[in-house]
Amino acid sequence: MKTKKIIIGILVLGMLGAFVAYKMYNKPHVNVAEASTDISISAEKILADFSADEITANSKYLEKIIEVKGVVSELNIEKEKGIITLKTMDDFGSVLCHLSEEATKEMSVLIEGQTITVKGICTGYLMDVILIKSEIIN
Amino acid sequence: MLFLLNLKLLIKIELTMKSIITFFCCFLFVIMCNSQERYLTKSGAINFFSKTAMEDITADNNQVLSIVDAASGKMAISILMKSFLFKKALMQEHFNENYVESDKYPKATFKGDILNFDAINETASILKVKGILTIHGVSKEIIIEANFTKTNDAILVVGEFLINLADFEVEIPAVVAKNIAENIKVTFNFNHTPYKK
Repeated sequence: MKTKKIIIGILVLGMLGAFVAYKMYNKPHVNVAEASTDISISAEKILADFSADEITANSKYLEKIIEVKGVVSELNIEKEKGIITLKTMDDFGSVLCHLSEEATKEMSVLIEGQTITVKGICTGYLMDVILIKSEIIN
Repeated sequence: MLFLLNLKLLIKIELTMKSIITFFCCFLFVIMCNSQERYLTKSGAINFFSKTAMEDITADNNQVLSIVDAASGKMAISILMKSFLFKKALMQEHFNENYVESDKYPKATFKGDILNFDAINETASILKVKGILTIHGVSKEIIIEANFTKTNDAILVVGEFLINLADFEVEIPAVVAKNIAENIKVTFNFNHTPYKK
């Protein structure tokens, strides 16, 4: 009787382990639309932070879910994915928001010069600060 | 009579002024045209592909910055490692945290010269690009072949090459060594447009 119980116990544990491992292996990507925002900031400020000190800004913003507020300066669609450029005072830099597929559909209502808030994952700074998987908040 | 002469002189001066201004405007315009020799894309695409008997792994990055200087034939590319998207979140996590250590080395870069750059034109031609590729903090000189097409308002660069993970000191733990190829195929597609501003 005792050995049977132990065997069943081990089996249950094993199955639980396998289940957890499987779940972890298939862990879903972060859902930007539903995830809570880590940092809310203006396009101006985030670009200024990156151009002033990229290393510090990297540790502060990378892989974080960020809401950026700014004025639309350009709207593009490349490979069926929308890209919104948010204007800043800087001559070269801006904030580039690469939209998710769903957000691309909503992009048609936007016009240049409009002030909007975009929520996305910050992946770093090249000439511009880059957000990916972005959603349009308003 | 004298008054009329004066007026004529004034008009003459004004006309020369005008032509000088026009001349300067033209001059400025020429300078501006020259500075348009730079071609750039902020949304270049890079894909990498690892094929083993166990599994195929692929990741895409559509936020690559690439600049071509049409005057000198130089090329510079900057890649954010965290912009690579994988099918599985766990793979992406491992890639960033364990393999390329993207917190420590957030960017990969390439700087190089396009050999025989003058040869490019509207029909696609294969040219060699020689330069330094930096990944995971390790720099290595490489020569890549790529397909170049130049039209009036774009330079298209398309190609692929192999990189060896050990060359860039990317260590793969023994447990998953069978799942990840030693040589990774990298494909790229950059559509550069003239840089204005």
